[in-house]
Amino acid sequence: MFFIELIAQSLVQGSIYALIALGLTLVYGLLRILHVAHASLFTLGAYMGVLTYNATGSMLLTLLAAMAVSGLSGVAMFRLAYQPILKQPPHVALIASIGLFIAAEECFRITFGASGLSFANPPLQGQVQLPGGLQFKQAELAVMGGTVLIIGILGWLQTRTRIGVACQATVSDPQMAESFGIRLTMVRDLNFLIGSALAGFAGVWVALLNNLVEPTMGSVPSYKALAIIVLGGLGSVPGTLMAALVLGLVESFGMVYLGKVLDRNAIAFTFLIVVLMVRPQGLFAKR
Amino acid sequence: MKFSATPSFALTAISLALLSGAAMADVKIGINVPLTGFAAADGKSALDGAKLAVAQANAKGGINGEKLDMVVYDDQASPKEAVPAATKLIEKDKVVGAVSGSYSGSTRAASPVFQAAQVPYVVSYAIHPDITRSGDFMFRVSAMGEVQGRGGAKLVGNLGKKKVVLITLKNDFGQSLAAGFKEAAAKYGITIAGEHEYSIQDRQFGALVSAVKAQEPEVIYASGYFYTAGPLVNQLRAAGVTATIIGQEGYDSEKFMEIAGPASEGVLITTSLDRDSANPATKAFLADFKAANNAGADMVAAATYTATQVLIDGLRKTGGKGGAALRDAIAAGTYDSAIGKLTFNDLHEVNKDLQVQVVKDKSFHRHSVISDPVLLAAPTKSTK
Repeated sequence: MFFIELIAQSLVQGSIYALIALGLTLVYGLLRILHVAHASLFTLGAYMGVLTYNATGSMLLTLLAAMAVSGLSGVAMFRLAYQPILKQPPHVALIASIGLFIAAEECFRITFGASGLSFANPPLQGQVQLPGGLQFKQAELAVMGGTVLIIGILGWLQTRTRIGVACQATVSDPQMAESFGIRLTMVRDLNFLIGSALAGFAGVWVALLNNLVEPTMGSVPSYKALAIIVLGGLGSVPGTLMAALVLGLVESFGMVYLGKVLDRNAIAFTFLIVVLMVRPQGLFAKR
Repeated sequence: MKFSATPSFALTAISLALLSGAAMADVKIGINVPLTGFAAADGKSALDGAKLAVAQANAKGGINGEKLDMVVYDDQASPKEAVPAATKLIEKDKVVGAVSGSYSGSTRAASPVFQAAQVPYVVSYAIHPDITRSGDFMFRVSAMGEVQGRGGAKLVGNLGKKKVVLITLKNDFGQSLAAGFKEAAAKYGITIAGEHEYSIQDRQFGALVSAVKAQEPEVIYASGYFYTAGPLVNQLRAAGVTATIIGQEGYDSEKFMEIAGPASEGVLITTSLDRDSANPATKAFLADFKAANNAGADMVAAATYTATQVLIDGLRKTGGKGGAALRDAIAAGTYDSAIGKLTFNDLHEVNKDLQVQVVKDKSFHRHSVISDPVLLAAPTKSTK
């Protein structure tokens, strides 16, 4: 019973990690940029979610607004910050990204206040009783369902549509793809749009689960998501998904059984170090 | 374009220098508070409290007719920021005394700096024992973590409950509360069915909540701040945990009810601010704070307001002089403050009752008062 509940909680946590890390993987796969500022789009999505829901009371509008604002801000970040320095070595983009992330955190604080925002009447807080005495918040079930749905749609887009094939071609050989008439900038814009919208989507769910959005809520995801894409074998989408779920499990069980010794972030990074010692290419890399 | 920031920084620096030059004649006190970073919400509350005390003092004629001027530095609740902040207050601003409106980590780092410079430092709500052990220029107006923890155990006893699970925030605040609680637990026949720890960045407690649920406690003694406790309480109730939840002064903010929502109803906290107090000083503070900030006061605001008042009161007695004279004036005073009647012992700690508040209809109300001079005795120079 307790184990089933723990595993279920790991899935909730893993789903959120997966949503955040996916966008990061897309960007890394395409541009080889470690996009730390991705986590600020997660925070932005959470703020947009709370503001929209408090104003309209519609969950659909909330998700759309959060995903649209995060998605477009992601594209703006790419165009204004990354595109001009694409020719520079990767650490230049990484430094720009860290700067963007810190600046965004302070912007959230100045705009929305230091003490964060909450839903006035948070939706999906009802409890669902499942057989075996399991009890979930509706929001917890929704985040798991939503993640599966979104990943399904993405998988379909990637493999079955022209635009998906164009993305894959750009990842494997940008010059060749361009010579076949694929517009690189459009593919890159689209990647940032989708990846950032996913981060915004995750932000809304975290806001619902905690009923609190704060300027600093992106600080843990900013490096945790990096750990996940490294675990997943840098740039591999299926690897990232698996790594997110594995990390959810490791953290949940670690928090209960090792919580007195190490906190959950320390557990996650100890796990990362051990994995990299044994498999430097990551858990799920193909080679 | 890229370098346009530099001249404006220089301009700001020059104008700041001019401003501080113009304020030379005033009596200067300093404060370190976290205005950015994870503790910025508490920092804002603390600063609002301190500003109110300064404004009230200036409205009453300042210090012998001289205006009281408060220099503010952001310490991000971080030791590495607090030391330069303390140094700047002493060396550059030449404050006669200072207030800490910050957490233990930063306050503990700043206290030896003030001690070495012989600048009295009045600490509002940082609870680490080492702070007053830095020396005789340190004062603290709040009850230490261990003391509050012992009071928590007594509260469990008063409620007639036995089986407790501890959920402890992994920092000096949480750990000293847990230490005090465990120390006194046996005295009240409490069995501790489980102990869990979490880090200050945690907001999602799914796994921990499952573990607590399996241990079936009667009472959960959970330390934390409103931004960790709000989600925690919310998630405990969502998972169907019905045990009584006891928190401490870290919960003490209106934001706690906002975040935890209906789950906050019935949560008990031990704190130093009694919302239903009959004490005129407390009532006046609650009303004045509301009028000045258009928001209800919390413990952090009340404690920092009180610490600032204590410092100002000392300055009135010395006529604005600092150093040993100010230290002795503060140590000798008795204060009828917003958080109760205060006198300092030989370690410059205060003895006072512990207020138990309960959440009823989305606000804190009086539940009971724990008055036990032996159990709640603050440490002195001779105790450890």
